[in-house]
Amino acid sequence: MMMASMVANGNRDGRQGEALVLKGVDPETCMIVFKNHWAQVVKILEKHDPLRSNTSSNMAALGVIGLSSGGPMRFGGPIPGDEASAVQNYVEHILFLLMEEDAGQAGAMGPILEFVVMENVMERLFLWSLRRQFTDDMKLEQLKMYEMIVGQARQPLLHHKPVLRPLMMLLSSCSGTAGPEVEAELVSLLNQLCCVLAKDQSVLELFFHTSEDQGAANFLIFSLLIPFIHREGLVGQQARDALLLIMSLSAENQRVAQHIAENTYFCPVLATGLSGLYSSLPTKLEVPGEEWHCLHREDWLQMPTLVQFLNSLEFCNAVIQVAHPNIRDQLVSYIYNGFLVPVLAPALHKPTLEEVMTTTAYLDLFVRSVSEPVLLQTFLSFILLHPHRHTLPGNVHILDTLVSRIDTPFQLGTVSLALFQTLIGLYCEDVMLQLILRYLIPCNHMMLSQRRVVKERDFYSVSAAKILALTPSCCSPEHSPPPLRQLDSILWSKGTDNSPNTGTMETEETFLEEDGSCYSCVIGSEIYLDVNYLHYLYNARLGISSCTRACQVWSAPYDGEDPPPEEGRQAQTTTDPAPTNQLELEWDDSYDAGPVVSLEAATAESSRPPQLPAAEPPKHIQEMRRTAIMLVKGSYIEESDFQDDVMVYDLVAKKDARDTVTKGSKEVKAHVADHNSNLQSPSAEVGDDLMGQYEELIRTLGSDEAGTGGSSPVKTVDKEFRNPVVTPMEEDEVDFSSFSMDTPELEKPHSSLFGTKLRSGSTRSHSVPFTGPFVSVLLSRLENMLDNSLHVNLLLTGILAQLAAYPQPLLQSFLLNTNMVFQPSVRSLYQVLASLKNQIEQQASTKKDFPKLITSAQHCLLARENSRECSPLEAGRMMKSSPPPQPKTISLARTEVFATVLFTEFLKELAAIAQEHSILSHVPMEE
Amino acid sequence: TYLNDFWEKGRSDGEEQSGEQQQPRASPARPSFGKKQLPSIPKNAVPITKPASPAAMAQLANGTHASYGPFYLEYSLLAEFTLVIKQKLPGIYVQPSYKSALMWFGVIFIRHGLYQDGVFKFTVYIPDNYPDGECPRVVFDIPVFHPLVDPVSGELDVRRAFTKWRRNHNHIWQVLMYARTVFYKINTMEPLNPEAAVLYDKDVQLFKSKVVDSVKLCNSHLFDQPKMDDPYAISFSSWNPAIHDEAKERMFTHKRRPEDHQKGLQVSGLSWVKPGSTQPFSRDDNPPLS
Repeated sequence: MMMASMVANGNRDGRQGEALVLKGVDPETCMIVFKNHWAQVVKILEKHDPLRSNTSSNMAALGVIGLSSGGPMRFGGPIPGDEASAVQNYVEHILFLLMEEDAGQAGAMGPILEFVVMENVMERLFLWSLRRQFTDDMKLEQLKMYEMIVGQARQPLLHHKPVLRPLMMLLSSCSGTAGPEVEAELVSLLNQLCCVLAKDQSVLELFFHTSEDQGAANFLIFSLLIPFIHREGLVGQQARDALLLIMSLSAENQRVAQHIAENTYFCPVLATGLSGLYSSLPTKLEVPGEEWHCLHREDWLQMPTLVQFLNSLEFCNAVIQVAHPNIRDQLVSYIYNGFLVPVLAPALHKPTLEEVMTTTAYLDLFVRSVSEPVLLQTFLSFILLHPHRHTLPGNVHILDTLVSRIDTPFQLGTVSLALFQTLIGLYCEDVMLQLILRYLIPCNHMMLSQRRVVKERDFYSVSAAKILALTPSCCSPEHSPPPLRQLDSILWSKGTDNSPNTGTMETEETFLEEDGSCYSCVIGSEIYLDVNYLHYLYNARLGISSCTRACQVWSAPYDGEDPPPEEGRQAQTTTDPAPTNQLELEWDDSYDAGPVVSLEAATAESSRPPQLPAAEPPKHIQEMRRTAIMLVKGSYIEESDFQDDVMVYDLVAKKDARDTVTKGSKEVKAHVADHNSNLQSPSAEVGDDLMGQYEELIRTLGSDEAGTGGSSPVKTVDKEFRNPVVTPMEEDEVDFSSFSMDTPELEKPHSSLFGTKLRSGSTRSHSVPFTGPFVSVLLSRLENMLDNSLHVNLLLTGILAQLAAYPQPLLQSFLLNTNMVFQPSVRSLYQVLASLKNQIEQQASTKKDFPKLITSAQHCLLARENSRECSPLEAGRMMKSSPPPQPKTISLARTEVFATVLFTEFLKELAAIAQEHSILSHVPMEE
Repeated sequence: TYLNDFWEKGRSDGEEQSGEQQQPRASPARPSFGKKQLPSIPKNAVPITKPASPAAMAQLANGTHASYGPFYLEYSLLAEFTLVIKQKLPGIYVQPSYKSALMWFGVIFIRHGLYQDGVFKFTVYIPDNYPDGECPRVVFDIPVFHPLVDPVSGELDVRRAFTKWRRNHNHIWQVLMYARTVFYKINTMEPLNPEAAVLYDKDVQLFKSKVVDSVKLCNSHLFDQPKMDDPYAISFSSWNPAIHDEAKERMFTHKRRPEDHQKGLQVSGLSWVKPGSTQPFSRDDNPPLS
């Protein structure tokens, strides 16, 4: 009795007690007990068996004979309860003895296991459970039984087909229709099996072989896990963990990799699952405040749907990390074609600001969440190169659209800025190339004579001095009262040749007191140094060092010579074959007045060139769409071979239970066998082939069932195969028609809103200097610094500082070299800063209380700064996303005042970066 | 830096000043700023006034803030130092002093010629209005017998090579290069040591023997305590396997290729650009996306 409750409840403590009892019992006694019990079991089994002799036949034979015996069963009626529980009790003892048996010498089977294998004990037990009502409880019991013996047996059991095969049957029969409890147990067992696989790859071969001669799945345990990929909670997590084990297995095992890539829907399910999960994300975020600009951890933890999406994304990331390259490549391809292009691209062009802003914030979060380079590359090439055709003839890349949105006066602008901060922070050559460098490579932006200056280094901090000289007079460090004025002095000592005690050491206080004469060699002791500036230098050093290190993987130095300027010009033409070549991507001002569909856009739409010749989506896309639909409904069924085995077993169980045996069963078996021989064919074919066979199967098997009115699982499944039932999704959710190559209808009327605008004339010849839309948009927003809110300015200056830290001479010289002479039409950072200084001086001279306001703002920002824990990297900057500061005497609405303070700090930041560049970028990397 | 691998620095532990860890120095081995709080100036030091240095004044005149002047000087000298490292001058090693960026310690190894086997320690003094002042001075610890080296002060006549120090054109590595050249190519014009000049021209044998004596003298003082009491002064000690073997080992196994160091670092850049191309994702190993 103890045993009975033990198995039923999966209670392992019960076993411990028994184990003690068993200790010391010699193996022969165990064997005798085992045989006795089994004999009892067999007695009952045979009593209810259609064929009384069959002890050594395998399941397949049993099934065929059993089904083909024809006519009404000679024995019949339900199995009496006392007999069932008697079997139950014996079985538990038997299994227990099996588990406790040690392996024989040199890894041979122990006698009990040998007996189990010879007598086909497990298969017969499984059949027995089928013959009774194969309810969820029964399945649960069987699953737990296997979980226990697999997990706790002292000798490997799975190597033996008579053990493995019934296990596979059980697994098959549990898939699909089971309740949540069975599912949980199933996944748990599958997870356990995967752990066994990961440890002992020799079992893997058996898993495949067993499948083959059973006509079951090539790799059933894998297929069974797929439907749980996107599941929430523990079940999903266990399934994903198990799948990951198989993924890492695939990296070394070509066969596994090939099977997964060619015969399963693993990759499409994963990728389209992202689409499905994405569609349940809120289309509009409720943002906490104007200052908000990106989804932080604490934000998305509050959103279960987003958490679920990120879990799946993280899983994709992990799969890509460990899986075989074939699987990896297939998966990224599906993510690109099944999620990014059909789902995210339209979402980025939704009709309302809030929706677009939300999508942008999601995209930013996704890019930040992905770590595996290949997956990151997939996202980046989507952003950089995916052409979104809508308002304009020619290609407008997602990137162009995103850049143009920086200039929106709304939160969309800030969120877009935050996305670019993320992108620039990746130190990715491709991103920087598309965003800025390709415009700088031709060196058109500078006077011809200046090309040699690009690589020159600023030995004497001339640029830093010029930048700092823009410090507004009202903010000069000497003017600030303590504690804002973090001024201190550094005694500057000079080495002299005749005195050994030259250096004036700050810490040698006693020495200083004693001997005043040493001051003769102190220079500038009264010069106050802005200590705060040291922080900026330190940060600049860190920033530039890590950026320089990161950029070592880049293909070229971008120093004005490599890549050669001429090639850059060519590149510009080849990148943009359309006349959009030099698109001036500027924000349409009419936008401020509200949504206006521009005529220009409308005409562009109507005269849109014909779509690419892809009239029919590629086959894999079609397939994927189908799978996705099923997946979204939570009724994923893989159209792979194992599925019909599940059906067969199910039918066997049902029919057996109802004592009906159909004539066609032999043919069915034949069909299944036939089918197996086709296994090697590509999955697409198998799919079609399968349907035919499948229908035939239904016809032959299900015909007389129709009369009984029983609901066959096959019917249900069949219905789902042919008419995927999907509840209509809400309007603004992703509809799967977007899987087609066409742009969804919905987008068309609105898309111009967020599009790009051609400047009249529409083309710029190469000779007209242009530093690119991104730089142009950034600088134009910076120009409005005095009107920008604090957080916008923090983002803007943050991004510019990020860019300035890049070591590429082209970028460095453009942003930081104040001696560089640019073409008259090119606006430089320095020019913008100088004009800002003038504006500030003007404000300061006209407003009496300006200095006071500055002081309050400084206090306010200092308090804000102190209220947060600063990581060393952030130490010098007043950083983003802190709670809104408590203004003491000044309202944040005085943007010009805050901007002035920030401007001053930004100058220091830039100057520090320029100074560090002058030494760091030229030192060979060592240590 | 590799300099530190070459010599055991003349760092005497008793003088380790913890407070100075925060001060920016012209040393390449500058520790991180840490909490970046400078030690405050001693109270009694404040009242002492001295007119601002010409350098600071000049920068003020340029319209920049005096507060930053020292930073510009510091970084200019750091830039000079990185240039010196880059030049990899044969047989010359320098190290800025701990106390001032304006004073560098150096040593020069003469590998052939009249002064072969000479090991001469020297100090470079850089004017505080650098780069707008005179050229830096080079003073040998022990006056080497040489026509251009002052027999009393040990100062090398550098100015003849750099009559006017021009910013952006003249660099400190050139001075060091010059200091090396004088030992290989003797010039007797307008000597600081007339005796040496005359001997070289009139009695080269005697000159040679005097040089040999001078080299011997210098080398005999090699293991002396550094002339300057500075943690970064260059000091020599005789070979001590306990200390030097390991350092030598490290020098020879030192990986020059930065990639080897960066493995496993979290921060790493990305690139899918094919070398020679300016197209994003042009590399061949990109997985196909469609």
